[in-house]
Amino acid sequence: MSHRRPDWCARVAKALAVAVGIAALGGAAAPAAAQQPVKITLWHAMGGARYDAITKDIAAGFNKANPEYALEPLYTGSYAETVTKAIAAIRAGNPPHVIQVFEVGTQTMLDSGAIIPVTEIVKPGAINFGDYIEPILNYYRVGGQLYSMPFNSSTAIIYYNKDVFQKAGLDPNKPPATYKDVEEMGRKIVSSGAARAAITFGWPSWMLEQSHAMSNKLYADHDNGRSGRATRVLFNEPFGVEALTRWKRWADEKLLAYGGREYAPNKAFLSGEVAMLMQSTSQVTTIEKAAKFPVGTGFLPRIEGQPVGRSVIGGASFWVLKGSGRSAKELDAIVKFFKFVAEPEETAKWHEDTGYFPATKTAVALLTKRGWFAQHPNHETAFKQMQQGIDSPATRGVLLGNFVQIRNITDTAIEKAVSGKLSPKEALDEAAAESNKLLAEYGRITK
Amino acid sequence: MEGRFPNRMLPYALLFPSLAVVVVFLIAPAVQSLRLAFYEVSPFTGRGLFVGLSNFRVLLGSDIYRHSLEITLLVAAGIVVAGMTVSLGVAVLASQPLRGLGLYRVAILWPYALSPAVAGTIWALLFDPSTGPATLTIRALTGLSPNWMMNGAYAVWVVIVAASWKMLGFNVVFFLAGLQAVPAELREAAHVDGAGAARVFWRITFPILSPITFFLFVMNSLYAFFELFGLIDVMTQGGPGGATDILIYRLYQDAFISARWGMGSAQSILLFVMVGILTALQFRFAGRRVFYG
Repeated sequence: MSHRRPDWCARVAKALAVAVGIAALGGAAAPAAAQQPVKITLWHAMGGARYDAITKDIAAGFNKANPEYALEPLYTGSYAETVTKAIAAIRAGNPPHVIQVFEVGTQTMLDSGAIIPVTEIVKPGAINFGDYIEPILNYYRVGGQLYSMPFNSSTAIIYYNKDVFQKAGLDPNKPPATYKDVEEMGRKIVSSGAARAAITFGWPSWMLEQSHAMSNKLYADHDNGRSGRATRVLFNEPFGVEALTRWKRWADEKLLAYGGREYAPNKAFLSGEVAMLMQSTSQVTTIEKAAKFPVGTGFLPRIEGQPVGRSVIGGASFWVLKGSGRSAKELDAIVKFFKFVAEPEETAKWHEDTGYFPATKTAVALLTKRGWFAQHPNHETAFKQMQQGIDSPATRGVLLGNFVQIRNITDTAIEKAVSGKLSPKEALDEAAAESNKLLAEYGRITK
Repeated sequence: MEGRFPNRMLPYALLFPSLAVVVVFLIAPAVQSLRLAFYEVSPFTGRGLFVGLSNFRVLLGSDIYRHSLEITLLVAAGIVVAGMTVSLGVAVLASQPLRGLGLYRVAILWPYALSPAVAGTIWALLFDPSTGPATLTIRALTGLSPNWMMNGAYAVWVVIVAASWKMLGFNVVFFLAGLQAVPAELREAAHVDGAGAARVFWRITFPILSPITFFLFVMNSLYAFFELFGLIDVMTQGGPGGATDILIYRLYQDAFISARWGMGSAQSILLFVMVGILTALQFRFAGRRVFYG
C-alpha cells in the first residue's frame, strides 16, 4: 500500500541516522555518555491546537525544568490509532514508556498485562491525588486502585450561536436545558430562518453514553463493567431507544443536521449553518477562536422526566507501559513527569490552551484567583456541570472490552436510525446483538 | 543466444534479494494470515485460541459482512462502468488536435499523482454538507441540500465519483496510447466508404482498443477491491450507517482498529479468494472477446 511508504522511508532514514549517531558516539569518551539525559518516550493523540500545547508547553517545559531527563513526545494519530500502535509495539517488545489512552481503551489496557498501575510507581504523597476532581479520579479508578495518570479529561456540553438565538427571537443567554427545549427553540430557529438547522453533535455514540449517564441509566451490565467484566450492553433498553427516537425526531423535523463522527460537525456550527452543537469541552478554545459570532455554552441538555445523573468523563489519561522492564531512573523520570503535569501552573495552562478540565482543585482555585473564569465563562461551564448531579455506577463511565469497535457499531446504528434506514429500536437491537458477540469473544480470549 | 553464468551460485545470489523481499513481505505474512484465520487471537499476548472454521462461519452468516460485499460490488461496478466510460470519452477528446493539448493532458493525469488522502480530503471538502462548494452549488440549482453524512446512497455515489476521478489519469494514459495505435488508414478507408464518426468508433476504434479496455477492466476492478482504503478512511470511515463500508475497510477495522487478528485474517483470505475468482471469470468471459489484432 502506497500510503505506508513514507513511514518506511522515515524508518530507513531513522536507522541511518542512528547508525551515524552510534558511529559518532563511538569516538566520545565513556563518562560523557553517562551524563546523557534519561530518555522516556510519550505517545499521544493530540492534534490541532493541542499538539503545540503538549509538545511545546508540557514536554519542552518538563525537559527544561529537568535537564537530567529527556521526554520525547510523538504524535501517533487518532486515539484509536494510538492504542493500535501501542498494541503492536507491546507485542514487538519495544513499547513507549508512557502512552495516552482514551477512556474507551481503559478495559483493554487493564487486561493487557502490559501496564504498571500509576499507584505502584508513585510513592504515597508524591502526588496528591486527593486534589483531583472526584469524577475524574473515579473514571480511572477500578476496584479502588488508580491505574492511570489523569491528564486530559473532558465532558460534553452544548455550544450555541448567540447571534442566531437573537435573530430567532430567543434569549441569547438561555441555552436549552432539556431535549424538549432543544425541540421548541429549534423549531423557532429553523422557521425564522435564523439558521438552516437547529442542532448537530460530534461523537454520536459518546453522546448516547452521555444521555444514559445524565439520566443515571446503565449502559452495560455489571454496573457498567465496574463490578465485573461487562457481558451485555444495555443501550437497546427502553431508555436508549427513547434517546435515539428523539434524535430521529430532530432529523425528521429537519432540526438535526447530522455532521459525522468526532469533530467534523464543528464546521457546520462554525459556518453559522447550525445553531447548536453538542461536543466535547476539549473544543472550547478552538471553537471560541474560530467562531465569527459570540459563542455561548450550556449544560448538556437532558431528557425531561428522567432521573438525575451526571455527565460522564471523556478524554484520555497517561498509562505506564512495562516493556521488558524499566530502570529505576526511567521510573523516576516518569513519576517526575506526572508530578510536572499535576502542578497547578501546568494544569491551569493546559486548560487555558485547550478547554480540557483543570483537573485539580488547586488549579481551579488558581484560575479563579486570576479571574480566568470571569473572563472566559465558557471555560467554566463543564466544571459547573460536573459539580451537579450524583455519583453512581452509571455516571462513572462504561468499561467494555473491544470498546473501540463497539463505539463504531453504535455510531453505525445511530446513523442508520437518523437516516431512517432502520427504526431506532431495530438499529439498537442490531447493534446490541453485534456488541454482545464482541464482548463474548473478548471474554474468551482475555483471561 | 544462451549465456551461462561462470559460477553456479551467482544466479542464486543475484536472485536472493528479490526472493527475500517476496518471502519476507508477501509469502510469510500470507502464510501467517492463513494460519490466524483459524484462531481467535488475544491482542496483547498474541495467544491464539483455535476455533476452526468459526471465523469464516461468522463472516458468511453475518448480515454486516454480506452488506459490505454488496457495497463493494456496487462500488466496483460504478468505478468500472462509469469511471471507464468517462475515461474513454476524455481520452477520445484528448486525442483530438487541440490547442494547448499538453496542458489538458497534464491536468487530466494530475489526479493520479495525488495520494488517496489528499484526493479524499479534496472531495470531502467539496461535498461538505454545510460548507462544500459542490453542496452549495447543488442547493442553488435545485433547492435540495443533500447531506452525504446522513444519506447513504448519496455517500456511495460521492465515493464512486471520487474514486473514478482518482483513477481517471491512469485510464486515460492507457486509452490515449491505445488510440494512437489505431491505424489512420483504417479510419480513412471507413470514412471514404461513408461511415459516420460513431460508426467508425464502434466498428474500428473500439475493437482495436479492446486489449487496453480489458487490461483496464481488470486493473479498475482490483483498484476497487484493494485500493480504496485511503479514500474511504478520509471521506466516510465506512459511514453513514455502514453505507460505504467496503470489504477492505471492514477488514482494516477488524484487524487493525479492533486488533481482532483472526477475524481480519479470515476476511483477507475471503477477499483474496473472491478477487481470484473474479479475475479468473474476467479472463474467461471478457478475455475471449478481446481482439489482439
